[in-house]
Amino acid sequence: MQKYEFLEHTADVTFKAYGRDLNELFKNAAEALEDTMVLLDEVALGETLNIEMGSDSYENLLYDWLSELLITFEVERFALKKCFVRIVGLSLTADCLGEILDLNRHRLNTEVKAVTYHNLAVTKNDIYHAEVTLDV
Amino acid sequence: MAFEELVKRGEYVWEVPQDAALRMRVPGRIFLSEVLMKYLERGAIQQVANVATLPGIQKWSLAMPDVHTGYGFPIGGVAAFDVSEGILSPGGVGFDINCGTRLLVTTLFKEEIEPRINELTTALFEAIPSGLGSKGQLRLSEKELDGVFLDGAKWAVNRGYGNPADLKHCESNGCLDGADPTKVSPLAKKRGKPQLGSLGSGNHFLEIQCVDRVFDKKAADLFGLKEQQVCIMLHSGSRGAGHQICTDYLKMFQAASRKYSIELPDKQLACVPADSQEARDYFSAMAAAANYAWTNRQVMSYWVRDVLEQQFNTTATLVYDVAHNIAKLEKHTIDGGRKEVYVHRKGATRAFDKDDSYGIEQPVLIPGSMGTASYVLHGTKKAMSTTFGSTCHGAGRVLSRKAARRSLTWRGVTEGLQRKHIVIKTDDLSSVPEEAPEAYKPIDEVIDVVSKLGISEAVARLTPMGVIKG
Repeated sequence: MQKYEFLEHTADVTFKAYGRDLNELFKNAAEALEDTMVLLDEVALGETLNIEMGSDSYENLLYDWLSELLITFEVERFALKKCFVRIVGLSLTADCLGEILDLNRHRLNTEVKAVTYHNLAVTKNDIYHAEVTLDV
Repeated sequence: MAFEELVKRGEYVWEVPQDAALRMRVPGRIFLSEVLMKYLERGAIQQVANVATLPGIQKWSLAMPDVHTGYGFPIGGVAAFDVSEGILSPGGVGFDINCGTRLLVTTLFKEEIEPRINELTTALFEAIPSGLGSKGQLRLSEKELDGVFLDGAKWAVNRGYGNPADLKHCESNGCLDGADPTKVSPLAKKRGKPQLGSLGSGNHFLEIQCVDRVFDKKAADLFGLKEQQVCIMLHSGSRGAGHQICTDYLKMFQAASRKYSIELPDKQLACVPADSQEARDYFSAMAAAANYAWTNRQVMSYWVRDVLEQQFNTTATLVYDVAHNIAKLEKHTIDGGRKEVYVHRKGATRAFDKDDSYGIEQPVLIPGSMGTASYVLHGTKKAMSTTFGSTCHGAGRVLSRKAARRSLTWRGVTEGLQRKHIVIKTDDLSSVPEEAPEAYKPIDEVIDVVSKLGISEAVARLTPMGVIKG
């Protein structure tokens, strides 16, 4: 199973993430976001970060989760390489592994301004799918 | 939404009929020539129709000739909503609140700069922080940041970053009334605080340009523009502060839209009644972000002037500064009466027929894509009656960033610029293809359409000599 793929969008970046369960779907969506922002091959696994949050729907939980990672990236300079996500009901806990960015070693990719609600969807057939558009 | 649904209503005027989609309250209007029609996407037509479903929309849901698919509103979208029956929508402004363009004119002419263009571009590149997550050189306290949110460009001028005359040459004098820093989240302040006076990345840029044609000598003389004269154009916005303010209020408005029973065809169109407390709070926060953006461009102008003084012992005068992502409270003549409306311009520029800055029509600045021409225009009466005093904002994308990266290389694009004797400086070579001229519509065609429609008139054309790509 592919973890995620980038789709065509004229102005912005749209990706589809996949997962056999919601935990994997949210993990893969996080990696797609980080992949947009930084060259992940150059990011090591030195630092850890724990995130906990809840919301009122899977779409809104995904929006909040990705927005949180975007802010952490911009404000704390934390680049996520791997994460373990557990979703129970509409609550999420995540252990994130990555590194604080060092512009001498890490190459940045695209500056993401925000996660959008545009066509934001979490759906399930045989596996879970999520579509996310980022404003860049 | 199919192309066949579009009805031709005049030269360059295409209507999306009110019955083309469910719950449309007004028809849509898209302004296109035959050439630009080739670039129109179904998604953009759908978004024009979606905006037409929002409560209190007046006359038409509009799209300028540089229209392309955005999220929620189309890019190039203009819509006016009644102040009492209508709505305010953060998605109708966008994440980069008061992303806009500023033009400074120097006392130098092309031939004086040409031999030193590399040196000048490098000095500006070093003086103005640009690129991903760029940070400004100012260290602001919380209180100073609140001052930026409240006073806009005036805050910078009071600190010595410019002259009082600059303020007269900004849309709304570089400050929107009604800003309230207490409506800005701590997170938005945290994102905005280190970034004041920085360009950012993506399509943001600084260009050294020269006036290569004057179309309207009277207006050009008033704006201080002569053929061959060297100008500096800045394209930037409200950085992380604006992005976070939009994010915060969009999230809040998801629930609020439901509370007010507003049916939305797209979540990104989340909105609230214009006379609600939520709308007042958003407007206060949006105004704060708009003021941050004006201050940002004002501070960067200071560094530009500093470099010009050091390198050429000269300075630059501000021609104009105008927003293209903003919501404004304005009065327009609608169906014979004067009405107060919230005009949302998402990738569209104000183009009023009157303005205090020069005592004639309002200057309009339209940046081209990297390596192509930019334009100075002015607003018109026709814009007041047909587009709520608005015009286009740029060339408008045609290739997705992904497609641009696939079909173009930074080396090819850079060589293309070199052949035109344009110097480029950037920290982010890999994203150069995304902003290549081939990824955008032809700017000359877009300007031709807005001129022939009469929603703005060309004053001068500027061509790039040096580019700093954010």
